[in-house]
Amino acid sequence: MLEGILIGLTTALTPMNLGFVVAGCLVGTFIGMLPGLGPMSAIALMIPVAAGLDPAAGIILMAAVYYGAIFGGSTSSILINAPGVASTVATSFDGYPMAKQGKAGKALAIAAYSSFSGGVVGAILLLIAAPFLAKVSLSFHSTDYFALMVLGLTAVAAFAGQGNVLKAMLMTIVGLMLSTVGTDQTQGIQRFTLGMIDLLDGVSFLLLVMATFALSEALMAILKPKDDESRLKEKEASANLGSMKISKEEVKEMAPVIGRSSILGFLIGVLPGAGATIASFLAYGTEQRLAGSEKGKLFGKGSVRGLAAPETANNAAATGSFVPMLTLGIPGSGTTAIMLGALIGYGIQPGPRLYIDNPEVFWAVIVSMWVGNIILLVLNLPLIPYIAKVLAIPSRFLLPLILFFSLIGVYFVSFNTFDIQLMIIFAIAAVVLRLLDFPLAPMILGFILGGMMEENLRRALLINDDSWSFLWERELTLTILVIAVLTLFVPMLMPLYSKWRKNADRAGEGG
Amino acid sequence: MFFTNRRIGGLLLLAFCVTYAVLSQRIPLLPFQAQSAFHARTMPEVLAILGVGLSIAIVVLPSPKEFLDLSGKNWFTVIAFLALMSFYGVTIRPFGFILSSSILLGVGFWLLGERKAWLILAVSVPIAIAFWALMTLGLSVFLEPLPWFLRG
Repeated sequence: MLEGILIGLTTALTPMNLGFVVAGCLVGTFIGMLPGLGPMSAIALMIPVAAGLDPAAGIILMAAVYYGAIFGGSTSSILINAPGVASTVATSFDGYPMAKQGKAGKALAIAAYSSFSGGVVGAILLLIAAPFLAKVSLSFHSTDYFALMVLGLTAVAAFAGQGNVLKAMLMTIVGLMLSTVGTDQTQGIQRFTLGMIDLLDGVSFLLLVMATFALSEALMAILKPKDDESRLKEKEASANLGSMKISKEEVKEMAPVIGRSSILGFLIGVLPGAGATIASFLAYGTEQRLAGSEKGKLFGKGSVRGLAAPETANNAAATGSFVPMLTLGIPGSGTTAIMLGALIGYGIQPGPRLYIDNPEVFWAVIVSMWVGNIILLVLNLPLIPYIAKVLAIPSRFLLPLILFFSLIGVYFVSFNTFDIQLMIIFAIAAVVLRLLDFPLAPMILGFILGGMMEENLRRALLINDDSWSFLWERELTLTILVIAVLTLFVPMLMPLYSKWRKNADRAGEGG
Repeated sequence: MFFTNRRIGGLLLLAFCVTYAVLSQRIPLLPFQAQSAFHARTMPEVLAILGVGLSIAIVVLPSPKEFLDLSGKNWFTVIAFLALMSFYGVTIRPFGFILSSSILLGVGFWLLGERKAWLILAVSVPIAIAFWALMTLGLSVFLEPLPWFLRG
């Protein structure tokens, strides 16, 4: 492991890569702060830039943008009660009330220290967990990988929240369908190309991500413009932040919360599909229960614990979501799905072999997380009063710029004008689906895993003489598939079970 | 009311999945491929069945009473932006990068309410030039800067 850390340090600490971490953190904070634009859009916008770099530098840049964007999202949650992403919604519960009390600077500092601690603890746990899991997964066969991908997809759907499981499952299937467009890799047969040469290579991953996130988010902002009052609020918030000092008592109050939430956040982040949003809400709820009746009442009114818990947990979860991506090649979240796509674009296959074949990428990502978190704290925190000015940039300038960056981001990779038109079609579809409240992240996950899933299933069948028996004959494959089925159906059946229990109790009381 | 957000989405995706299912049957297969357990149609067929099944379930099962509210939204501006982006795709080659990008940005600023012509020009043109310079001079990615009638 020490050797690995040294490899990571030598790769991540080159002046060039350090520069990418600094730039990534700043750009990520800047984009993440814009209401409506989250880490997925931020990373998507960075892919064209990262494509021109070597793999380690590219992934370092995207990872830095990732935690920068999470930090930026917290900033807009605290200052204007407009979370850029779902994972920072819980941050606004206590962060915004603190800002309203004139303690915006303090709230930002608490968020920054909590994010830093969550990120660092998460990176230490990643350091231990990732190589271990990578070694274990070396014994996996293609049948197990197929089962793992099924698990990854079902987990995403299962964690979609009550009432949304079917929608998330359907969107995953749509993503898988889109992944089948183009020439079949093994047999060279054209599928769903509609006779168009431009579709022979399939739908570009970057195009799909840019259209469904960056472009459609900007179009949604144009569709539903903000009123004058919220604009005024943004200007005021960015102009006056107050002191950023934290008292000793507050540090004492935060410390145990940070410890608990880091571990909780990391563990939730490792689970495919769970991600930072669930981690932040779970940490918030846990701390509220642990705070006792008196301190618990302060939650939602500017509690230090209520702010520290979700901030720590979402950063630790963001780090944790790298574990399945780096070791199994299965993204734990929509954001890591985009990074996985970028790695594949470099010709690198994430999974257990990454640890052996590309140790510089594997370790550089882990080490860059520490570096990134330090930079976020040392550089971004003092710069926040200036970065917050972005909230004052009129949206009439900002939105066309986002559209411009999204379009040229895709065009610069392919130099094909057909891609611009296809992007517009996908963006229209994404806007419609957003208006109808259908989740888009599962679609991206399905799209990324589709090709790999088909490939592993094909290979498994080839090895087993065209027999599907591997699904139940190989113990590991069967176990993973059973877990996948349970992951999918248990959350669906839980509400029915609790309803049945309630009815049974009522009948018992009546009888 | 039957047509909730969820059901409209379900119906739209059902149409997509049915189209996908129909097109999956047009994937050409050689006779020997059709006999194998896994061929180019296998995955699309499985996905089509799952997609159609799930979308029907979404349409048929009880749905929360959330309805699409189309009022109070800037539909015209969004449609204008879609047309503008499509125009950008068509003109980026003949008009060159600088002119087409300046038009995209300038018209975009105007569509969103900026009416000062000097400000529109002062922001859009330098950004387009800066980007062209960054790509061409900084990253050695050649982009035709000038429109067709000014090229040598």
